Amino acid sequence: MGKKNVISATICLVAALTIATVTGKNFMDVKAPDTLHPSANVTETKMLSDYFGDLKGTNSDTPIYVFKGSKPGGSMLILGGTHPNEPAGYLAAVAFLENVKVDQGTVYVIPRACNSGFTNNDAQEASPQYLHFTNKNGQERQFRYGSRAANPVDQWPDPDVYIHAGSGQQLSGSETRNLNRCYPGRPDGNLMEKTAYAIVQLIKNEGVDLTFDLHESSPEYPVNDATVAHEKCMDFAAEGMLELQMEGINMSLEPSPTNLHGLTHRELGDYTNTYPILMEAPNASQGRLRGATNEEMALTGKDKFYVSAAKLGFVYVPYDENGHPIEERVGRHLQGIIEYTKAFSSIHSDKPVSFENVPGYEEMFTDTDPSQLGGPHFGSFLN
Amino acid sequence: MIITLIYRAIVALVLIFTIWNLFTEKKVALQANAALVVIPLILRFLMIK
Repeated sequence: MGKKNVISATICLVAALTIATVTGKNFMDVKAPDTLHPSANVTETKMLSDYFGDLKGTNSDTPIYVFKGSKPGGSMLILGGTHPNEPAGYLAAVAFLENVKVDQGTVYVIPRACNSGFTNNDAQEASPQYLHFTNKNGQERQFRYGSRAANPVDQWPDPDVYIHAGSGQQLSGSETRNLNRCYPGRPDGNLMEKTAYAIVQLIKNEGVDLTFDLHESSPEYPVNDATVAHEKCMDFAAEGMLELQMEGINMSLEPSPTNLHGLTHRELGDYTNTYPILMEAPNASQGRLRGATNEEMALTGKDKFYVSAAKLGFVYVPYDENGHPIEERVGRHLQGIIEYTKAFSSIHSDKPVSFENVPGYEEMFTDTDPSQLGGPHFGSFLN
Repeated sequence: MIITLIYRAIVALVLIFTIWNLFTEKKVALQANAALVVIPLILRFLMIK
């Protein structure tokens, strides 16, 4: 080993250590949870590990914001961030908890249901790391754009085939890290099965009557602009869907397939007494036909390739140059929560839930100056 | 989890061999090549990525 070799080797090693330190810090920084500012009406903040202790200290433990109304009533759970690469699902839960005042009943909000998935991005997707907004006080807020599934650092190795424990259903191995394929979960399973189990324990222990799971899907996916509901929800879901359509929101209602297992709208309905509803909004930034992926696309939903795809009939939602801004997608979810809750409370009058101060579709989207769409207007609802 | 400990031990071993290779290699280009391999091995060993 010559002296010259040692010098060049040392230089190379120092360079490698420097790069590892810088990138390592970046990877560690995204593990810090976003700072949320719940409305002044929040009555309690719990952790998911309060319902299943095995989650304590793991990257899957996540806050639950509890809002109790002054009048007794039913209870409701909102799951945001089941898939952290579907920003409207996460941000609708955030907008709800930062504005809501519950009058009757109790509302539980878990904005980051798959907390682990917020700590990485899907490989080879070029997803943005953060979404940025200016809040009503002029301060910058940032929110993570994560991955569809849990961070493989937290749960590995993936099997070749994922077998759903309750049904024996076989799926691709990576789906073992998809929270919404792991319900009802099991206490001795992998991290996502334990997370699903903890959410089921919350529903059972608190007697949650109505559960919303907020999602987005790529425009070429058939289940879009849609509500998927367990068959026992169909009476109030149909009423709520009609209300949404009368308000100009294109929403379809689909029954949860009985042979598709592990999802909230199937398993929570089968294994608990809650009435589960899942909603989908169109998100170009997770689609297969998209162009350059960046924060602007995630916020505006504008993409020329989807406009072309729509002209060729390849997508399941209307798509033009205006895209589908975050205000529209979040507004759909919030208005859906409002209408389905009203319909549920009307039919199940022994367990009503009512709340106010949650921005609906008009306030969030249709009554807005188009120049403010794509982030600025959404920011005005943040504390 | 035992499998994680075994995995990290294997990564540590490969990391040591790679650094050894970095210092015994005579060509600078191959030294740089070894240094590039070191980066993900460090992040893997520390379970950061």
